[in-house]
Amino acid sequence: MRIGVFVCHCGSNIAATVDCPSVAEAAKLFPDVVFATDTMYACSEPGQDGIIQAIKEHRLDGCVVASCSPRMHEPTFRRALERAGLNRYMLEMANIREHVSWIGKNKELNTGKATELVRIAAEKLRLNTPLFANQFDVTKRVLVIGGGVAGIQAALDCADAGIQVIMVERETSIGGKMAKLDKTFPTVDCSSCILGPKMVDVAQHPNITLYAASEVEEISGYVGNFDVKVRRKATYVNWASCTGCGLCMEKCPSKKSHDAFNEGVATTTAINIPFPQAIPKKAAINPEFCMKLQKGKCGVCAKVCPTKCIDFEQQDTIVSEKVGAIVAATGYDLFDWTVYGQYGAGRYPDVVTSLQYERMMNASGPTSGHIQRPSDGREPKRVVFIQCVGSRDKSVNRPYCSGFCCMYTAKQAVLTKDHIPDSDSYVFYMDIRSPGKGYDEFTRRAQEQYGVQYVRGRVSMVYPKGDVLVVRGADTLAGTQVEVEADLVVLAVGVEASKGAAHLAEKLRISYDQYGFFMESHPKLKPVETNTAGVYLAGCSQGPKDIPTSVGQGSAAAAKVLTLFAKDKLESDPQVSSVNQNRCVGCLKCTMTCPFGAIKDVKDRAGNTKAEVIETVCQGCGICTVTCPHGAIQLQHFTDNQILAEVNALCQPELEF
Amino acid sequence: MSARTGVLTEGRELRIVGFLCNWCSYGGADTAGVARFEQPTDLRIIRVPCSGRIDPLFIMRALVSGADGVLVSGCHPRDCHYAEGNYYARRRLELLKQFLPITGIDPQRFEYTWVSASEGARWQDVVTKFTNRIHDLGPAPRMQGGSGYDELCLKQIEEGVKQGAACPCHKERAL
Amino acid sequence: MSTLEQLKEQIRKALPDLDVVIGWEQGYDAMHATPLFIREEADIDRLIWSPLCVHSLGTYLTGLTKSSKVQKVGLVVKGCDSRAIVQLTQERMIPRENVTLFGVGCSGCLSHARLEYKVEQGGHYVEDMHAITFNGDKVEVAVDGGVESFDFDTVCLEKCLTCRFPNAIATEHFAGEEVPVAPKREKAPSLEAFEKLPLDERFAFWQDQMRRCVRCYACRNTCPMCVCRDHCISTSRNPHWVSQEASTAENFMFQMIHTMHLAGRCIECGECQRACPVDLPIMLFRRTMVHAVKDTFNYVSGADPEATPPLLTFKAEEDNINERGW
Ligand SMILES: Cc1cc2nc3c(=O)[nH]c(=O)nc-3n(C[C@H](O)[C@H](O)[C@H](O)COP(=O)(O)OP(=O)(O)OC[C@H]3O[C@@H](n4cnc5c(N)ncnc54)[C@H](O)[C@@H]3O)c2cc1C
Ligand code: SF4
Ligand code: SF4
Ligand code: SF4
Ligand code: SF4
Ligand code: SF4
Repeated sequence: MRIGVFVCHCGSNIAATVDCPSVAEAAKLFPDVVFATDTMYACSEPGQDGIIQAIKEHRLDGCVVASCSPRMHEPTFRRALERAGLNRYMLEMANIREHVSWIGKNKELNTGKATELVRIAAEKLRLNTPLFANQFDVTKRVLVIGGGVAGIQAALDCADAGIQVIMVERETSIGGKMAKLDKTFPTVDCSSCILGPKMVDVAQHPNITLYAASEVEEISGYVGNFDVKVRRKATYVNWASCTGCGLCMEKCPSKKSHDAFNEGVATTTAINIPFPQAIPKKAAINPEFCMKLQKGKCGVCAKVCPTKCIDFEQQDTIVSEKVGAIVAATGYDLFDWTVYGQYGAGRYPDVVTSLQYERMMNASGPTSGHIQRPSDGREPKRVVFIQCVGSRDKSVNRPYCSGFCCMYTAKQAVLTKDHIPDSDSYVFYMDIRSPGKGYDEFTRRAQEQYGVQYVRGRVSMVYPKGDVLVVRGADTLAGTQVEVEADLVVLAVGVEASKGAAHLAEKLRISYDQYGFFMESHPKLKPVETNTAGVYLAGCSQGPKDIPTSVGQGSAAAAKVLTLFAKDKLESDPQVSSVNQNRCVGCLKCTMTCPFGAIKDVKDRAGNTKAEVIETVCQGCGICTVTCPHGAIQLQHFTDNQILAEVNALCQPELEF
Repeated sequence: MSARTGVLTEGRELRIVGFLCNWCSYGGADTAGVARFEQPTDLRIIRVPCSGRIDPLFIMRALVSGADGVLVSGCHPRDCHYAEGNYYARRRLELLKQFLPITGIDPQRFEYTWVSASEGARWQDVVTKFTNRIHDLGPAPRMQGGSGYDELCLKQIEEGVKQGAACPCHKERAL
Repeated sequence: MSTLEQLKEQIRKALPDLDVVIGWEQGYDAMHATPLFIREEADIDRLIWSPLCVHSLGTYLTGLTKSSKVQKVGLVVKGCDSRAIVQLTQERMIPRENVTLFGVGCSGCLSHARLEYKVEQGGHYVEDMHAITFNGDKVEVAVDGGVESFDFDTVCLEKCLTCRFPNAIATEHFAGEEVPVAPKREKAPSLEAFEKLPLDERFAFWQDQMRRCVRCYACRNTCPMCVCRDHCISTSRNPHWVSQEASTAENFMFQMIHTMHLAGRCIECGECQRACPVDLPIMLFRRTMVHAVKDTFNYVSGADPEATPPLLTFKAEEDNINERGW
């Protein structure tokens, strides 16, 4: 190999404390170095031209540039090499500015150090090989998992940009939690009035295929080329012909079915359409409560259905879709509040969750918007809200803040006053967290204008007394114990990742935290990306957030998808791992430690298992290289031998110069 | 020209090898440079993409070949650019740290730590403390000599025989 | 029925479905056992089971089951031997379904090295030993026309003193009674003694020992967990970790590779040290790593077929690793 060394003065940035000419002089004695010089500004036009000229003149195969940090100018010098006809990976840099001249004043020591850094770089370069990027096609279709407001936003943005969207929603209707809400803070506008049109857009958009009552069964492939299998769960109704007329619901005799949409505040029929604005507006049978499916008797719905679409024999089906990107927007679920036995949750009917309360206030809810006590239907005159139930509480392993409970509690207290003008509301809180446009003003209005009583402190217990509930807690501001008699207690239950989120994350090969929330690639700089290329996050699946932020993230995820799809072909970075199939014994340990699922198992001709790196997925971390005891999988550009050459360059005693 | 491995004279450098991940600690060292945070000069940095790329055997190789100290630095746990690299690194490096004493190599000669790209001052602190520590320990002892009955060995046997001890090859037999 | 008879019976029944069963037979003299490859029923008569059966037969496994035609292999295993199989299974290094294990309970195996030392100390020649009987806590050796008696604990393998797995685990068959788990020591006495030395003396010790290594790779080749065979990085050029230079430092580097590659995998069978022709106490390295793994990850290798080896996984918050402050 013929190596050229260029030692940059960086004006006086380097030259002031490093004897650059003598570094270059010393480098001439290194193995394979045929040319070495010092240069004023290597990165400048003339500096780069000098490098290019030297490459041509001295028929160099590779260059060491000793200058600033490679994090700064590696791309610059790589381009210069390319312009001279060399492969960009035939460059090594020695960082003699940030790591030498700027941090030490002793010129002799600095010069020695700089020389050794050049030596390391040259030794590594001797083992460099040209690397070439691979190109591959992109399937310009996107899968959106979860049809809450975040997923809806992402889907509509992509669809409007002309991208085919596959939306998979677990429930029989999209809309997520927002569809259940009555009004939304801080503007107190009707939730379904703003969400409804968007849901309709999803249904009508020519670019969106909606699979409701469906879940992702399996995902394989990689960015640009995912293969997805979707399980369409049996609804026992042929949706192609169901018109959503609702006749079946009227006649179904099983009227005590669990009503998930109404959070169990009321019951519904075994065959039902969850709410009037449902999208798709199709009936589905809940087999647990269907008398025909349970006992073989009934079948009333099949008789009344005008389009004859009831099918008791229906089975789950699997459909396959090819997509190039995935947006995970599976939202949240409420924490299991029954662990708070001291609040009587689950035992006293008049202790309800915040989401149940939303349904009780909602004009299209089971009580038509009249707030009633579940126990006796009486209108409550005094409502007590308890915040942070399952949030900021280490004792139940929920140390985090659920973010929006302070705000919706204020909203619910305000709405309570609107519904029942002669009512009083109390809020037990830890801190009021209302950072957001118009948010703090809103919580103040609740207190000042609506007279909501805020008590700072934790509630220790709730117990029944006659037909009211006594809420006992501390008022930490007054330093006293307080007891409030309440007709109704609303728990602001904290949120956690939606059920099965961790399971889905495994399929997506993305990380999730201990609460099941999906992990973004970088907490600040890559909030909607994941560590799996081509998989993006939106909404509460990544962590608690309110509607505006969820929508913003939906759009952000869509922007990422569109950016990805802006190219017809993707290029993979060649600094990836590669398996020497002769050495590989097929133990697949590397597949266990690779964080990106970038290694698959293949069979060689003799039928032996071997590892193979999917170049487009590999991120080039090299975790696998250390995992493999046989050194069979080597990270290109950072192979064992390359790093060993650097170590040996530093640590071998014969290296006197 | 420069200070040599294993030779300690006043003000001379010792051989300290650093393995730094590209995204955090290498960036942190850059940040320290940009801020002109002065540091001892002994350290030579080898850049790797991720602390998960650092095979503990690289450290062993360096120590066996004459490094007086080895410093590893990566992204803080949870901040790994590759999500999990430093978690694996932590397990591997911790085992090495605990293993070293049995070899007689002072575990103080090896350290691993986490420094982010913004922590220039912390990097200065780490380098300074580690370099001082290595200087306090002095040059590391080296495994010397060839294999089998080379000169060194023969000399020892000779001495052993003089003192009436048996051939050294059998003295640990009953261990 | 004695353990041996039961074992033979089990092998006899299973043999028709197996290509080979590996056990032990009497070796070249009364003092030694040696591996026996049972291919036909007649071979079964040669099978023995005694404290002479020291060899961990699992070491044959990776070679055998990877050979061109997949073989069905039977293996007689003591407690420690069975851990090797479990660990190999955890690592998917062997097609476990092709392996049939015949487990036994073991009350300890003989350390030829320790016994020979004692016999020599008694003024005899090792070559003159011509019979050995194991009698409860005693070992009786016929030598020079007389009989020397030793406490078994003083001549057993060191690993047997700390053994927590005397009974083979996760086997298809088990012969004889289970042996009570009763480790006599927490830590190997040799390691305990060595740890009392200051660092510089330890280093000097290894300097002295490692020079003697003849790089025969017997320690590696006999290790049931060293599965790389032809691809061991200690002898390859790409990657090129160790130079072929015959030097103390390179010999030591090889031991470091072996030890690091056995981190979280070594099942403390002690075969590496037993195999060493120049008696290097390399179990000091292995045992230290085993303790480090146990202390840090609370992991015991080869104990649970379902467990994930500690270096193939992690916890975001490690239980026993304290981030060092600066
Ligand atoms: C009581 C209460 C009141 C609130 N009031 C307000 C308010 O006034 N203003 C405000 O800004 N915010 C409010 N919020 C917060 C608001 O609900 C959320 O910000 C918003 O719903 C988040 O939307 P999302 O799409 O991320 O999640 P979700 O609404 O939870 O939607 C997720 C969707 O994904 C589906 N899904 C889940 N898992 C899967 C799977 N594996 N496969 C397929 N589909 C799946 C779910 O069925 C659901 O349809 C309130 C929250 C609560 C609890
Ligand atoms: S590359 Fe290495 S770790 Fe991966 S399967 Fe092959 S031998 Fe095992
Ligand atoms: S370098 Fe290895 S571990 Fe890292 S992403 Fe690529 S294949 Fe996976
Ligand atoms: S290193 Fe030694 S003790 Fe450990 S498994 Fe291998 S042979 Fe057994
Ligand atoms: S020492 Fe390591 S590379 Fe060599 S055979 Fe054993 S495990 Fe494989
Ligand atoms: S068996 Fe002993 S002599 Fe042979 S390589 Fe191993 S340590 Fe060296």
